[in-house]
Amino acid sequence: MSAAHHSTETKPILSARIRSFTYHGEGLPVLEGIDLDLAPGTLTAVLGASGSGKSTLGRLLSGWLPPGTGGTLRGFLELAGSRLEFGGSGDPRINPAEWGRHVGFVPQDPAAVLSTVRGTVAEELAFGLENAALGRQAMKTAVEHTAGVLGLTELLEQNPGSLSGGQLRRLAIGCAIIAGPQVLIMDEPFASLDSAGTAGLARLLQDLVKLGTAVVVLSQVVDAPLLDAGTWLVLDNGKVTGSGPPAGLQAGAGLLPPGIRAAGGAPAPARDHTGAVHADTLLPRGGAGVPALELRGVCFGYGGGGRAAGGRTTRRRARGGSPAGDASAQVLKDINLSIKPGEVVAVTGPNGAGKSTLLRHFNGLLRPTAGDVLVHGRDIAGEPPGEAARSVGLLFQQPRDELFERTALREVCFGLDRLFHPGEAAGRALDALSAVGLSGAADAHPAELPASGQRLLALAAVLARKPSVLALDEPTVALDGGGLALLDAAVRSAAGEGAAVVLVTHDLDYARAAAHRVVMLDGGRLDG
Amino acid sequence: MRLHPLTSLAAACSTAVITTAAASLPLSLAVMGAAVVLSARGGTARRLLPAAAAVLLPLGLSLLVMHGLFFPEGRTVLAQWGVARVTAEGLAFALERAAQLGAVVLALLVFSFSVSVPDLVAVLPSRGVHGRFAFVLASTLTLLPAITSRVERIRQAQESRGLVVRRGVLHRAAAFRLQAVPLVLSLIEDAGTRTAALEARGFSNPGPRTSYRDVPDPRGQRVLRAALLAAAAAAVAARLLLTQAGS
Repeated sequence: MSAAHHSTETKPILSARIRSFTYHGEGLPVLEGIDLDLAPGTLTAVLGASGSGKSTLGRLLSGWLPPGTGGTLRGFLELAGSRLEFGGSGDPRINPAEWGRHVGFVPQDPAAVLSTVRGTVAEELAFGLENAALGRQAMKTAVEHTAGVLGLTELLEQNPGSLSGGQLRRLAIGCAIIAGPQVLIMDEPFASLDSAGTAGLARLLQDLVKLGTAVVVLSQVVDAPLLDAGTWLVLDNGKVTGSGPPAGLQAGAGLLPPGIRAAGGAPAPARDHTGAVHADTLLPRGGAGVPALELRGVCFGYGGGGRAAGGRTTRRRARGGSPAGDASAQVLKDINLSIKPGEVVAVTGPNGAGKSTLLRHFNGLLRPTAGDVLVHGRDIAGEPPGEAARSVGLLFQQPRDELFERTALREVCFGLDRLFHPGEAAGRALDALSAVGLSGAADAHPAELPASGQRLLALAAVLARKPSVLALDEPTVALDGGGLALLDAAVRSAAGEGAAVVLVTHDLDYARAAAHRVVMLDGGRLDG
Repeated sequence: MRLHPLTSLAAACSTAVITTAAASLPLSLAVMGAAVVLSARGGTARRLLPAAAAVLLPLGLSLLVMHGLFFPEGRTVLAQWGVARVTAEGLAFALERAAQLGAVVLALLVFSFSVSVPDLVAVLPSRGVHGRFAFVLASTLTLLPAITSRVERIRQAQESRGLVVRRGVLHRAAAFRLQAVPLVLSLIEDAGTRTAALEARGFSNPGPRTSYRDVPDPRGQRVLRAALLAAAAAAVAARLLLTQAGS
């Protein structure tokens, strides 16, 4: 099946015929029978559920996973007219730098792009240009233009280490496009972007395609901009199960695997099989009891003498040791929030609004500069976060920041022995793994799980503790349709058992479907 | 005034050389005092003093034991246990050497804690230092902050799942054993993914490279650097001459 034949007759800039690709040490190929031709000025969407091989395909096409060192490729890659045949001894070697001149790549984890030795966003953007020995004036022009296109202009002098998740993704995209590659491959680029960011990226994609770039978006969600793609390539289990213009694939029911989420799709259980259970009907009654979580006049600023756990003054440090540029800004201003047991509250807001900062106050990882945080009426000001964690479960925005053990089972077991009898802890861990569909991966290394699996594993580690306050930071990011249904079931079940749930999400559809109440954090203040 | 990184490097190195060559206790003590004041003004004293103590305490103690107890030229015996004699001359010599060493270590530490790493990395390639080496140097200088922030992240994840870390250095040190293995594993994993990104962004390009960061190097500072290096050379020459004349 040839992907781009439908959209254009122009000669492709990048072609791939992948008979098979197998990682070293694994018996079965992760990719099989994939034919792809990317012509200039086209948008191609590669759709597939988590674990379908999308990221492997993206890294292979972009030179981030060179055949030979990364695994065994049978087939060929052809870039700008020169063909590299793989499949036996004496395979050619890809020069990643040369490849990178033609093909830009934005990985699923945007932090992986950072050079880590550049002190500002502007210098990070310029890193690739410096290596190509571009003159300083030309670099400045390119940096300003790219920053303008991606809404990074205000952040140019900030340290990359101090950016929020959504801002970091924009920076990663900027690093990939600044040198004007002919092919741009992006892995889940819309994840964790706010609505302004999504709209901006959609416009950018259109502009790049108009200028003749071959753009490839790998995604498990049919985001709205992908409806305009010339070609869809549907991957399931490493094989192409459908390809062609979106119209044909959308209409034919069953051509898209169930794991692929629809554009702007609310989670399936919002319209669940009983047809009766909607979030509103679950709203807990009465308001006389003590709130599960209460914030009273909470203020916080990274440079304002906020206290981190352990009593030290926090300051977002640059990787090189200097403080972030906006250190003195107040991130949270007089936040009042009260959540009843069994209530689900969604917090939305633009990238960088301080949503993650807010969640970190719930268990004391960050301490307010003014105001109080009360869990079941108890002020947690003097408690170490480990004590507050008995009641408060926190799912981090980046699952990789949360996972640190050698196997999935050990990960979920961590800390359970402090809450339950040793015998009971193992059983609870296995139950939690099973609840998120990871029973089969108990012995897997967390880093080897696909992004969706990592998110679900982190969720299992939180759920196993049966917290009475559940704080979830962007839980839908990286989840495919199946993962989202599991998350939704877990949230409903926790709320049903009386847990107060706070969801931070940029996904408004999900927020409205899953929560009793949606509040907006913008400019440090909470509305709604 | 913002110091060019090479100016502060030259200042630190020439201070170290001159103090060593002069071998004068008052000068060494003055340099040590000045270094501490500079670092306190620059806001790095809280990180600098523990690092200096970690280097200097064991070295100072060993000097004291070596010269304080066994100093053949010592005449004024303060105490004696068999072959070991504590002499006033031995103690004075040990003190002088320790002060000299302290001055050198503090001068270099003030530099390494105050230098702007991005500035240094930007400057080195234009002075003929290979980009890859400049990167390795920068990575080394940023390694400690990078490790600290990674340990912090792992500890926060563990605290969020019930690890109780109480206030105080000892409690943190005790908790560190739980973060050590995840730290090493995550640094290795991180290095793997980072390599692909760096290679794709042309980091290994053999050709010339440019720098986005403009680090001003005013004429005054260039003259100052030359003067500092000349002073260091003069101090070494004077020392050699004096030694020859004395022998």
